[in-house]
Amino acid sequence: MFLTIGRTIKGGWNNFFRNGYLSIAAVSVMLLCLFTMSSLYLIVLTADSVLAGMQGNVNVSVYFKASVSEESILKAKKDLENYSEIKTVDYITKEKALEIFKKNSASKPVILQSLEEIGENPLLSYLVIQANDPNQYDMVGEYLKNASFKDDISWVNYRDNKDRIDRLNKTISEVRKIGLGVAGLFSIISLLIISNTVRITIYTHRKEVEVMRLVGASNTYIRLPFIFEGIIYGLVASIISMLFLYVSLRLSAQFTLRLVPTVDMVSLYLSNFAVIFGMQILVGAFLGTVSSWFAIRKYLKI
Amino acid sequence: MIKFDKVSKIYKDDYIALENINLEIKAGEFVSIVGTSGAGKSTILKLIYAEEAPTDGRVFFAEKPLDSISRRHISRHRRSIGTVFQDFKLLNKKTAFENVAYALEVCGVSREEILEDVPQILEIVGLGDRQNKFPHELSGGEQQRVAMARALIHKPLVIIADEPTGNLDPVSSLEIMQLLLKINKLGTTVVLASHDRDIINKAAKRVITLEKGRIICDEEKGKYKIC
Ligand SMILES: Nc1ncnc2c1ncn2[C@@H]1O[C@H](COP(=O)(O)OP(=O)(O)O)[C@@H](O)[C@H]1O
Ligand SMILES: [Mg+2]
Repeated sequence: MFLTIGRTIKGGWNNFFRNGYLSIAAVSVMLLCLFTMSSLYLIVLTADSVLAGMQGNVNVSVYFKASVSEESILKAKKDLENYSEIKTVDYITKEKALEIFKKNSASKPVILQSLEEIGENPLLSYLVIQANDPNQYDMVGEYLKNASFKDDISWVNYRDNKDRIDRLNKTISEVRKIGLGVAGLFSIISLLIISNTVRITIYTHRKEVEVMRLVGASNTYIRLPFIFEGIIYGLVASIISMLFLYVSLRLSAQFTLRLVPTVDMVSLYLSNFAVIFGMQILVGAFLGTVSSWFAIRKYLKI
Repeated sequence: MIKFDKVSKIYKDDYIALENINLEIKAGEFVSIVGTSGAGKSTILKLIYAEEAPTDGRVFFAEKPLDSISRRHISRHRRSIGTVFQDFKLLNKKTAFENVAYALEVCGVSREEILEDVPQILEIVGLGDRQNKFPHELSGGEQQRVAMARALIHKPLVIIADEPTGNLDPVSSLEIMQLLLKINKLGTTVVLASHDRDIINKAAKRVITLEKGRIICDEEKGKYKIC
């Protein structure tokens, strides 16, 4: 058993090397396929993480009139927390608001100065509401309009990225579709090229195949070297693809960091290394096996 | 050992290669099948080693009908048959030793067993001193003996030889024939297809004559002749 596997793997390995430029073509097209696929995967990962960041940034701030007591605000907070659509409600006191305001305006001395001149805190206390889902903010708006404390509200500020989120979501699904299409196309091309390469291997080994059949080698034994040849194309392509991916991410890091400052694609690649590599090996080996199988079914008379 | 029961073989394009063949070959026999080119000799042999399946009728090997053997087990059937051909079918990039060893390798035999069996069998066919020669360094007769060694390496029940002397000079042909007779003497059944009148007559064994896919003559101690 081990003998058989050892001998057939060796056969596949030899086929891989003896095919010369054909092997290179087979690996290249598989490489294209795997590279496209994993780039797409990384882009989607990046976009997802940008999206998550943006969703965290969506919120509604409810500013209360200066006359409203802290007690009523806390009661309003409790009311709001009862809604299932609402994830969190944070209470920002006037003092806290002032602190935040000062910090944000640290670089604008004029504003700070005029604040000093006023002498008292001109800001209002407010509640920051986060919903579970960006689509639920319409609901939250409704609640606020009909709330028991609606007369205490001075004004409501929707920090609503909904449009941008929708647009990004649409882009992501578009990228997915196009990427899957391109990867699918490359898969089909690799299938064709690899099975053609294996067909040529079968042709150059027709005498060995004939002898093997005559001396009673099992069908499995005759087929395995060709299957292994296909798998080797997949494995070699996935290793090269991982290298290419790393190098191209490093080279484009400057550019991508400017484009998406919140996500470092190189570390995203490194932290997902096992998943990406595993996925490529699986897809590569699968495509290799299927291509060889086609060639064997069609050209290897056993 | 081998039995043909009302066997017909029609190739595609409706070409009738064999018609209603009834035939029995006993274990230990030496049978020559003769006939003009296209008479159907090779087809009979192919039916025995299951390269082709009969269109009609059944072929039995060691009492078992061949059509009952599953595709997976055909290889085991082939191991009990050694085959030799006019064109030797040796692998040019392998030495005599490696060509014979190959037959064991591809059947999962261990290295130790290969190192033990192969030199022995090469000795038997008279190539003890030429083991490391490549086919192009050997004469036709020697190449055919390498092929014989390969055919014998699985200790088959039957040797099938399809015009083994077709490419050889008379002296080498005779040597090959003598080797086949020796193998037969040691107990292996031999089925030989040939139209080499001289060597058939020298053997003085059973001769089956084919003409246009039919057996027209089947004689013990026969001669190559037109019945
Ligand atoms: N694979 C095949 N397909 C179609 N016809 C074939 C095939 N093999 C042999 N034949 C035909 O069957 C006839 C018998 O062939 P064969 O058994 O090889 O004859 P022999 O060995 O006696 O010369 C020939 O006429 C040949 O053309
Ligand atoms: Mg013939």
